[in-house]
Amino acid sequence: MVGKKKGVPEWLNSPLWSSNPPNDRIFSSYDTGTLSPDPPPSPPPPPPKEPSPSRPGLDGAHRSEIRAPARESSQSWSWPEDESLEAQLLVDFQITLSKRIINLGELRRLACQGIPQSLRPTVWKLLLGYLPLDQTMWAHELGKKHNQYKTFKDEFLLYPSEITSRMEASEGSKYEELNCLQRLGLLSRSEIKNGEHPLSLAKTSVWNQYFQEKEILEQIERDVNRTHPEIEFFSGGSSFARANQEALRHILVIFAKLNPGIKYVQGMNEVLALVFYVFRNDPDETDAACAEADTFFCFSELLSVFRENFCKQLDNTVVGIRSTIAKLSQLLKRHDEELWRHLEVTTKVNPQFYAFRWITLLLTREFNFTDCLRIWDTLLSDPEGPHETLLRICCAMLIRVRRRLLAGDFISNLKLLQNFPTTNINHILHVANKLRGPTVD
Amino acid sequence: MVLVLAIGDLHIPHRAPDLPAKFKSMLVPGKIQHILCTGNLCIKEVHDYLKSLCPDLHITRGEYDEDVRYPENKTLTIGQFKLGLCHGHQIIPWGDLDSLAMLQRQLDVDILVTGHTHQFKAYKHEGGVVINPGSATGAYSSITYDVNPSFVLMDIDGLRVVVYVYELIDGEVKVDKIDFKKTATTQSTH
Repeated sequence: MVGKKKGVPEWLNSPLWSSNPPNDRIFSSYDTGTLSPDPPPSPPPPPPKEPSPSRPGLDGAHRSEIRAPARESSQSWSWPEDESLEAQLLVDFQITLSKRIINLGELRRLACQGIPQSLRPTVWKLLLGYLPLDQTMWAHELGKKHNQYKTFKDEFLLYPSEITSRMEASEGSKYEELNCLQRLGLLSRSEIKNGEHPLSLAKTSVWNQYFQEKEILEQIERDVNRTHPEIEFFSGGSSFARANQEALRHILVIFAKLNPGIKYVQGMNEVLALVFYVFRNDPDETDAACAEADTFFCFSELLSVFRENFCKQLDNTVVGIRSTIAKLSQLLKRHDEELWRHLEVTTKVNPQFYAFRWITLLLTREFNFTDCLRIWDTLLSDPEGPHETLLRICCAMLIRVRRRLLAGDFISNLKLLQNFPTTNINHILHVANKLRGPTVD
Repeated sequence: MVLVLAIGDLHIPHRAPDLPAKFKSMLVPGKIQHILCTGNLCIKEVHDYLKSLCPDLHITRGEYDEDVRYPENKTLTIGQFKLGLCHGHQIIPWGDLDSLAMLQRQLDVDILVTGHTHQFKAYKHEGGVVINPGSATGAYSSITYDVNPSFVLMDIDGLRVVVYVYELIDGEVKVDKIDFKKTATTQSTH
């Protein structure tokens, strides 16, 4: 283990590491798009310098990860080559996206290196299979999907009284005006239709269903209100923020009603929030306006991939969350047995304590927004598939902080892993890349 | 969408042992937001039962209530409507619309809920509505023995109220509804 640096171990557990000038020698040896499997028996040596704090707004190429902040402040400057690489990547993307029929493999390869902010919504929609690869079909497909979403909204978002009044309006009924001049009179009674009344216990009753779903609706309401309180976009209190929360709520309610198998599980709001954020901030105005509908379908797509994580019944099965965590454990053991042994055997940090949140929320709570977006670029585009990629990234995260983990006991390790320190995201992705290889079961 | 239960004249335990089973099975906690009880419960156990259905309980005093601290009248605002509550034995002649209308003007409410006659009635007059939920247990009244158990559930939604009338006739629950709307501006006509 390379531990020759002069850093004093007493601040080993501090989340803020100061930075040193970059040392390029480790990272100059790789090239763009290192996708060839190259599994080293041990992880790449940790860099002798401290990692630089992640820089917001860094969407650049895989290669340009070493920024050199001179001080601990967030000021940083970039190598001149890196900016040209970013520009090159942008050009590459634009070329790929300009073809009439988009080459998905090419797109994935480029996306692994990070997607430029402006193109991210479009590329994600393509990667998730929402937009067809044939560009001429886009308008048609989008129109179809938007209409479908509108019907969903009409069907699922109404209160029972609105539903019953709609049923009656179609059959024609009248109101008694309170204010008419007739001074005296018994109000006329009318039969109720279909036995629909608020206290109905019938299974088919609109009211009964409403009350049964009320609990889920309240849960969704609570979770939406506390999604990302630190970000203006969601919790500003402005009407824009409220509209965004409303959109999140609608999507989650409709999803819960359309998927009675998993309904709503806490944590879905985090995954949804990220997708919605990206789509809503699309530089293209018309696309941003229909962000809600697009988000709904992409979110459904994403959840269908990661469905097993949220389904309680599958918890203990081969595909459930427990076995996924076990796979992560095995992966760590394969690549870094010393760390694995220290974590699980010596300090008894059960991976469930930290990996559960990492995996179910797809790392949205572990990193800041920008880093998450970068991770998801890789998650969605890696040819090995999102499940494998996620596990590799989690493993890389563990390896990244291995020195601190090896020096820590149960409590400090748990604290560290549950509040993962800010690190250079490209470094983690690079390490994750190196972990490719034949999987063990 | 606010659900308000109007119920009263149970006369438990003197004239009836309990609510009919079919009513009890329908009245479950968690659905109703407010309860307006006209009075004559008569004992604390009934009060506790109603409280378990919904924490927001309003009761006015009937002449047989054992708790003397209930008020004679009560008013409250729910959404766009002002509701008034009174048992009704104070209004003479009992059940007379003109006298009830006087009380309504006095309390300045849109919907007045009274009881005592043990007969369900819903009147409309001069911009106000008077609702009598009847007796929920079917207890005999000072006027008649022939009483069907009944209560009322109001669904207040903006300016529109749907009144669902639940009656137990020949052992079966029969539900009717009455729909009315309030015009937006004026609250009272005087």
